[in-house]
Amino acid sequence: MLREEELKTFVDGTTRYFEVAAQQPATIGSPYLLEGEPAIHDYTGIINISGKREGVVYFTAPRAMLTVLLMKMQESDFSHDSMRDLVGEVANTISGNARRDFGHDFVISVPSVFAGDKPQIPQQPGARAFVIPIHWRSHSAKLVVSLT
Amino acid sequence: MQLSGIDRNRRLLTAAAGIVLAAVMSLVLIIGFRLATQIRAGVAMLQQASELETYPAVVAEQLTALRQRLDTLEYTGRVHAELAASVSGFDRDFGALEHQRTLDPAAVRAATRLWRSYAPVLAPVLAYHGEPYSDTATSSALSRNGRVFYAHVRRAELFAAGHTAALHRELATVSGALQAQTASAAARLRLLLSVGVLAVLLLGLAAAYLQLARARGEHAARAAEEQTRDILATVREGFFLLDADYRIGAVWSQALTHLFGRSDFAGLSFEELLRDKVSPETLNTAMKFIKLLWGDRAHENLMKSINPLGQLEVSMDSGRGGKETRYLQFDFHRVMGPGGVKHVLCSVGDITSTVLLTRELHEAQENAHAQVDMMLGMLHSDPLQLGAFLDGAAASLKHVNAILKEPARHHGEFSKKLGGLTRELHALKGEASALNLMSIAQRVHHLEDMVAELTSRSELTGNDFLPLVLKLDELLAHLRGVREMTLRLTALKEGPSAAGSADSAAPSAAGAVGTGELGTALHSLARKLAHDHGKDFQLTLNGLAECPSAYLPTLKDCLIQMLRNAAVHGIETDGVRRAGAKAGAGQVRVDFRRLQNGYELLFEDDGAGLLPETLKAAAVHKGILSPEQAASLDDRSALGLIFKPGFSTSEQVTMDAGRGAGMDVVAKAVYGLGGKIGVSTHPGRFTRFKIALPAISETAVA
Repeated sequence: MLREEELKTFVDGTTRYFEVAAQQPATIGSPYLLEGEPAIHDYTGIINISGKREGVVYFTAPRAMLTVLLMKMQESDFSHDSMRDLVGEVANTISGNARRDFGHDFVISVPSVFAGDKPQIPQQPGARAFVIPIHWRSHSAKLVVSLT
Repeated sequence: MQLSGIDRNRRLLTAAAGIVLAAVMSLVLIIGFRLATQIRAGVAMLQQASELETYPAVVAEQLTALRQRLDTLEYTGRVHAELAASVSGFDRDFGALEHQRTLDPAAVRAATRLWRSYAPVLAPVLAYHGEPYSDTATSSALSRNGRVFYAHVRRAELFAAGHTAALHRELATVSGALQAQTASAAARLRLLLSVGVLAVLLLGLAAAYLQLARARGEHAARAAEEQTRDILATVREGFFLLDADYRIGAVWSQALTHLFGRSDFAGLSFEELLRDKVSPETLNTAMKFIKLLWGDRAHENLMKSINPLGQLEVSMDSGRGGKETRYLQFDFHRVMGPGGVKHVLCSVGDITSTVLLTRELHEAQENAHAQVDMMLGMLHSDPLQLGAFLDGAAASLKHVNAILKEPARHHGEFSKKLGGLTRELHALKGEASALNLMSIAQRVHHLEDMVAELTSRSELTGNDFLPLVLKLDELLAHLRGVREMTLRLTALKEGPSAAGSADSAAPSAAGAVGTGELGTALHSLARKLAHDHGKDFQLTLNGLAECPSAYLPTLKDCLIQMLRNAAVHGIETDGVRRAGAKAGAGQVRVDFRRLQNGYELLFEDDGAGLLPETLKAAAVHKGILSPEQAASLDDRSALGLIFKPGFSTSEQVTMDAGRGAGMDVVAKAVYGLGGKIGVSTHPGRFTRFKIALPAISETAVA
């Protein structure tokens, strides 16, 4: 079973990105268990995890949120690639946080980034997905943790 | 302690050696001074005595010279004056010699006697004044006085010639004695100086030895200090001493820095150490315990057994801007001194991994026990009833997840979820208890605890709901396990042919539970409640078959909650019933019947009834009503309090009562179906619930 500390590591990694990159912390909404299809927004950064736990963690955000985030970061390029890079960077921060906290117990992949509403998210048998809404300003993204 | 003892002895020895050295040197100096003075006086006297030795010869020569001058009629004044000066000098110096106590008195006496014998013959010579000659025009000759003077001089000359050698000898004897004395004093001084030098050498050696020993001791002390420092820097436990003011001493192990995320321990009070890490209640208990440790009568082993900090849950900075939970183990040992408890040695260890492992083991054991119990229970249960429960539980938890999924950003939105979660979970726990599925009931109870804890918080965020959703996941996994086990058991019961198609034979369909199964479940629940709460009562069910299947799930929820309420709050214990002249076991009666315009459920127990004043007091205690509001409430409205969320007359929360969710569940379920609920009571005699449900179509009834 996933432990609270482990779940918090991923959550902290996500909210920390907003705090550092945009100087405005993100808050988390009411967490719940994913039922049915994965909850996906426009851009999704995925990291695969193996070792002590097996599964995926992904951050998925709508274009509008990423646009405002880029503006807050004083960026002027709002292209498709910039969005992909940004969501990849968030996933990278989550991954770095997890590496720091879990050490060698977890083998964490380099993030892969998908655009669109049908990304290929590998399903881990027996793993239930925890959905944690990430609220920043008036926008909402999702962090999904699915590990055995 | 040993080192300081050695050090103290060494200091004492050094001080004693110093004192002895000072005393010896003082003695040597004092005696040496006296001897030196004695030698100086002796030398002076020896000089005097040597000079005295020459006087007899000088006096004799001067007398001869005086006589020769008189013979040749020469001037005698100068020689006479020299003779007088010599006799006067001899008298003076000899007198000084006579007063020396250190001289041999016999030798001095002999010389004195001899010298005094000169006096009669010298006196007329020295007393003579005037010119001894008488002159004429042609010659000079001795005058008459001159001839007398000449005779005296001649007599004195002859006397001196006869005694000079003897007097010289006596004076030489005195000089010899003086010389011997001085030599003896000089010898003593040499001896004294030798003793002094020897003493200084010995004391110097002793001082060198002590210095060497001290250097060795200091080296050992430095080595011991270094070892202590290495131990304190390496040991994984936190060690420190507490003084009588409960403050940490100057020496502590490095592990404390890691354990508490700070390094300013010296002088820090124990209270400050824990203040931000534990709840105020825990801190209060911990401080009371620490104070007890300083009592002389406190028995250490007994104190150890009541140590409230044996496994302390603390909230620490995670280093990532957040908090994390750790478990610390504090152990205390009293350090006794002559006046009682001197310090309290405190050791702290991080036992987080041990606690978590133990918890996992415990959970695994519980799961194993629960699975065995579950299997035994399921062997005696109707698979259809069990399947219906599992379907219902899945639906309930789906609803719980749906409540969690509702968007929330602020405290109000988060807080709003809690009421719905409480009702849903409480109903589920009731059903699980009714089927004697205690592993499920306990898990749901734990979830209820978590929700209740969140209800008491003044500020809620999404972070607070993370443990809840994890627990929900755990409960769902457990239900999945139970379902799998049910399928296997069903397959076993139905034989090998059915085993292969267990999935298709899965008990399912929420409505599949019939009134017969409901009756069986309620009787089972009644027996369990009677056993658990030490009550004796009989459950009578009438007309459940009249209940349309569409109402059956609601009827089941309501009856379970009301039955639990009746068992816990309504039916009295045997003793109380006998005292109230009530005959036999308690009675709980359920009547369901179809009416022209709907359905009616009557639920009645012949227990203690409801006392409006008790209900009002409980409502004030729970903060549902102010004392003023409670005072203005009439009896009918007071009875309505039992349907308020969170209302309970129980002080403690148990598996069956105390959350104030039971009748809230009933009321919400009845209102949800468009029905009504009423309550009537007679204190000491009965409580009766009357539920009216609307009519539904025949197809639904069927």
